[in-house]
Amino acid sequence: MATSPSALDRLRIERAVWTMNARLQDLPRRSRVTRRRELRDNLHAAAADVGARQAVRQLGDLRILAAGYLAAEYGELSRRPSWAAAAVTILTVEIVMMLVDYAGRTAFDAGITATTPDATGTFRWAGVPYLTSEATFTYRNGTHTSVGGAWTPLVYVLMFAGAFVTGRMWRLIFAWQRQRHLTPLAVDEERNGGRS
Amino acid sequence: MVPTHDPQLLKGVLSLLLLRLLAERESYGYEVVQRLRALGLTDISEGSVYPALARLEREGRLQGHLVASRSGPARKYYRPTTAGAQALAEGTESWLSLAAVVHPVLVRRLPDPPTATEDT
Repeated sequence: MATSPSALDRLRIERAVWTMNARLQDLPRRSRVTRRRELRDNLHAAAADVGARQAVRQLGDLRILAAGYLAAEYGELSRRPSWAAAAVTILTVEIVMMLVDYAGRTAFDAGITATTPDATGTFRWAGVPYLTSEATFTYRNGTHTSVGGAWTPLVYVLMFAGAFVTGRMWRLIFAWQRQRHLTPLAVDEERNGGRS
Repeated sequence: MVPTHDPQLLKGVLSLLLLRLLAERESYGYEVVQRLRALGLTDISEGSVYPALARLEREGRLQGHLVASRSGPARKYYRPTTAGAQALAEGTESWLSLAAVVHPVLVRRLPDPPTATEDT
């Protein structure tokens, strides 16, 4: 009867599994989850056979294994999209926009309180041209609250167009075409009940 | 001494071996590795077998299905599809044809090396 691995062995296995998962970021999520589960199961089986340390060692270089999985998904020579690059682009645009918005609001507030330290009333900030909409600052004795200042559609266009370009998402079209070509084979198999 | 095999040669026939082994008996990833090692491919790594299984499944030549396991989560067993069985038949024919040409050449006796002669 197989003994369950110790906590340390589980940690060794999980470390390998999640390292691999990080290297498979360019795989579609469903495929990545499937590979991750299968790898974990195989590592547990190997660990019961030769121990967790040796099971992980037998996997070899995880970069090579990940490259193998990516080649299995997209083909040896085919170019593939980079989900990681797309995510970094979206995050970068978000951070830049937050900084720009924060700098603009801070400057506007500094301008109001510099001239009238105990300002009371409503002031309109036109926002960052093309990037944020108008905002209304309501002051009471020098402290303020604000509403408005949403990002304009142009920001979202920049964000997603940037992600599309940096992530080379057009390559997904070729991957989908390839998948559509391969899927009917599997569907036919299931209809026929596997081996005839 | 543990025999080693040319990784490039092995890569060329790995798909064929996998299809053949799985046609004999469906197996999960690590079990396939064990079966390959039992055949004498002791230096084969999981790192080459698992992606090969994934590629064959992606190409519609293998079909995976989950089977509940007593020792942990459900295991993914693979078996060849009709397309896989066809690829196996074609690949086997191709391999045997190539081996029939290559093997006799490689086992032929080499001529004796020339003996050193003194210059006059």
